[in-house]
Amino acid sequence: MSADTAFRVAEALRVDGPWEVFGERSRRYEIHFNGRSIEMVRGPISLEGYSLGLFRQRDGGAGVGFQASTDLSGPGIVETVADAESLCRYSSFPAKSISLPETTSTSAEDVEVLDPHLWDRPMETLQAYVHALLEPFDGLKDVLPSFGSVRATLAETTIANSTGLQVGYPQSVVEVEVAVKAVGGPEGPGPGEYWVNDNVRRLEPSSLGPKVEEWCQYARDVRKAAATPTGNLPVVLPSSVLSGILPPVIGSRFTGRGRLRETAPAIGEKRGCDALTIWDDGRIPWAVPSSPVDDEGTPHGRRKLLSQGQVSELMYDVLYAGAFDLRSTGNAARGIVFGFRDWRRFLYSPAGTSTTLVIEPGTDGTDTELIEAAGDGIWLQQLGWAIPDPLSGAFGGEIRIGYRIRHGKLAEPVRGGTVGGVVMAAPGNPSLLANIGAIGSMPSLSEGIFAPALLVKPLTVAGS
Amino acid sequence: MTDVREHEAEFVRALARLGPHTQFADLLAESTIGRGIRLDRRSVSPSLEPRLRGAVLRAWGGGRWVEAATSALDAASIGRAADAVEQALVKAGAGPELPGVSATTRQEWTELPARPMRDMTTEEMISLGQDAKAWATAVPGIRDCQVGIVWSDEERFYLNTAGARCYQLLCRVRAGVTPIAIENGRVEFDAISEGSLGGRERLRFLTQENVTEVARSASKLLHAGGPPTGEMTVLLDPSNTGTFAHESFGHGTEADQFTRDRSYLKPILGSMVGPETVTIVDNGAYSEGWGTVHFDDEGHPGQRTPLVDHGRFVGALHDRETAAASHVAATGNSRRSDFLSRLFVRMTNTYVEPGNWTFDELVREAKQGILLERATSGIEDPLGGQMQLKTKKGRKIEHGELTDVVTSMALSGKVLDFLKSIRGVSHQSDFRIDPGYCGKGQTDLLPVGSGGTYLLAKAVVGPA
Repeated sequence: MSADTAFRVAEALRVDGPWEVFGERSRRYEIHFNGRSIEMVRGPISLEGYSLGLFRQRDGGAGVGFQASTDLSGPGIVETVADAESLCRYSSFPAKSISLPETTSTSAEDVEVLDPHLWDRPMETLQAYVHALLEPFDGLKDVLPSFGSVRATLAETTIANSTGLQVGYPQSVVEVEVAVKAVGGPEGPGPGEYWVNDNVRRLEPSSLGPKVEEWCQYARDVRKAAATPTGNLPVVLPSSVLSGILPPVIGSRFTGRGRLRETAPAIGEKRGCDALTIWDDGRIPWAVPSSPVDDEGTPHGRRKLLSQGQVSELMYDVLYAGAFDLRSTGNAARGIVFGFRDWRRFLYSPAGTSTTLVIEPGTDGTDTELIEAAGDGIWLQQLGWAIPDPLSGAFGGEIRIGYRIRHGKLAEPVRGGTVGGVVMAAPGNPSLLANIGAIGSMPSLSEGIFAPALLVKPLTVAGS
Repeated sequence: MTDVREHEAEFVRALARLGPHTQFADLLAESTIGRGIRLDRRSVSPSLEPRLRGAVLRAWGGGRWVEAATSALDAASIGRAADAVEQALVKAGAGPELPGVSATTRQEWTELPARPMRDMTTEEMISLGQDAKAWATAVPGIRDCQVGIVWSDEERFYLNTAGARCYQLLCRVRAGVTPIAIENGRVEFDAISEGSLGGRERLRFLTQENVTEVARSASKLLHAGGPPTGEMTVLLDPSNTGTFAHESFGHGTEADQFTRDRSYLKPILGSMVGPETVTIVDNGAYSEGWGTVHFDDEGHPGQRTPLVDHGRFVGALHDRETAAASHVAATGNSRRSDFLSRLFVRMTNTYVEPGNWTFDELVREAKQGILLERATSGIEDPLGGQMQLKTKKGRKIEHGELTDVVTSMALSGKVLDFLKSIRGVSHQSDFRIDPGYCGKGQTDLLPVGSGGTYLLAKAVVGPA
């Protein structure tokens, strides 16, 4: 790997430790389409920058200063140091110690996070992907691509710190947005849309055919969807829906930050049903939060957060680990804003959060068997925006498309109304984690989660 | 950081280079300075705006836009961006005519507020934050309180080959207080925040009275029940009215959704969509709004654009292309999140104009229903016309009077049904515009204002 952003800055630093430098050199390429027409081509959008973190231990805690810059010149680095030092003076954080990660043997090849085709021929690969994405619509009369974009970021990440750590790895992330529209019949219902927003590490044009077919069916079903019923109903949540609900709450409250704010659950406390075991795993191949090391250079690993419903471990970044005289668990991430990932990660200071939450598969079988177990309820395919509140744990949103479950079988599509509840409640109180009635046996990867479908009995559904 | 206009010669040279290859090219340069503090019971975290600035070059070629951006403003970096665009133009070849009218605005807006935030020291910001935290934590049940104060001075400098040359300095300030109540494992909070263009005078709302009131409200939520569920009369507070105006209605009026044939509103332009008491506007020229712009990122002046005028849907928001497609003038709504992001049609300050009712009259008129307070989020559904608003708390309305406090909830329904169900809008004295960040899909966040007064209508409510 040729990138050395953080190493160059580190070499030029004339400052006492502890310090850390997170550097990134990125190229970004984008294709935007409107219907089947290419609307805009962008790239390369070139960006190289770094974030400097300074830690100043003093009585009762530490001063902490982060500053980001794109100026890698000598005078530019001096200015950045001055900024960070000035922030340290005013900052106070109750860290008993600051233990930065030390030299690591982790290499870039340890975790699969780089699409080599995309890296070598970005625009050609994006063009081929867009072609493969639009091709399945040829010949379809009732469904068409409405609009979309693919935006690839190719980044060379480097991290250095005052303990001598120097680590780096290349990675690719692609934001895929596609809206699929079902239409037809002058007197029929209005058009129906299925809107996909996904982040992936690699592009697999060959797998697009079945996916597009599925999206088209959801768009058709939106057109004929009935009103959602009202009541406390069994609801089946697939991993694509869970990915919008669980990571924001668990990734906030099962952390050192949660512990310091007294919002984290206590170790050993019962917060989920007996069958529920949840891991945090930063090394799942091709998962977007995966990488050899976290954003402070600590190797990513696998930790059990919830064991048979009981809280087992919490997640820490360097700073919040220091508040408890612990070491980081490799859970520092940069650039997560309102639950979304900003590709310009160096602009942000690190914060403790989950990587990929892994829910251990249960023994309750396939999706079909979960539906049978639900009896009379709803399969939730897509929510408007669950956006849980990490503090209270409340979540909920509008049902964009779901399916009624009647007599243990999928029935008519439903749309509208809301579904909601609380992800995690005080021990003994109802919540999503406590009310899981069945855990499927077939996990799938969605951003931030690798999980089977869960049957929750019940959730509150407010139909129209 | 220096004034971006110091690099004007390089910008002009780059545009001149592209001239022979294109019918039109433009350049936007951007630089921002700013400072902030966040504090809670255990820590104080000051921050500085990253040292990031740059420029994006855009040109029309082959029937589409091509762009390249750079995060350095020296002649060599600007030259490389121009190289990339030039190569793309040569590859694209000739194509259809450039759509729309090129801006020719030549003006500078450089005025600082009377009491600029850049003159407020970090110590003063921390002191104000500590006061707010102390007021909040003095309320029984409040265990912690997060306070944030942040300001930014953003320069945007726009040039194009049609002769436009405009520069604006936008000074934004925002502050918020979030008292957190914790009891027996249950966590609740409430929040107040304000933000706008302006200076130090915008922090006047951080008074002991206001902070104490919101802290008491957070404490009460610990013992509040869940909201009622189902379709009912809803009274939206100004923050929820604004979120409705922006998310539910405004996104459907962004005319790129018209050209994509992705707006449920497009076929009903010119129709009555609500009672005559309802007027909804987008106003980039609103004095000191959080989303105010003197000119947009195509050089068109910010302006007041009526969307619904006394119940009739009369207009949409346009960039040069959508304006050309609709045979109207651009409305000053073409915005980039920053120089690294593409242009989209975006809102500025979107609000429901005040009506004639008093708040008490609306509560009496509601008879039975729910008051929704403190909007937290919303999401658009431009094609389907469904709505989702989420709010932190509410109060039941029983027999025309406010009764029990209830916890967070989501509001759903069809936007057009909601508009038709509006029975009253309260008067000017309740009017406010709240600061927020809007994404186009899941990316490209930028500052927008949304607002209104109290609004009485009917919708589906459920927990969230």
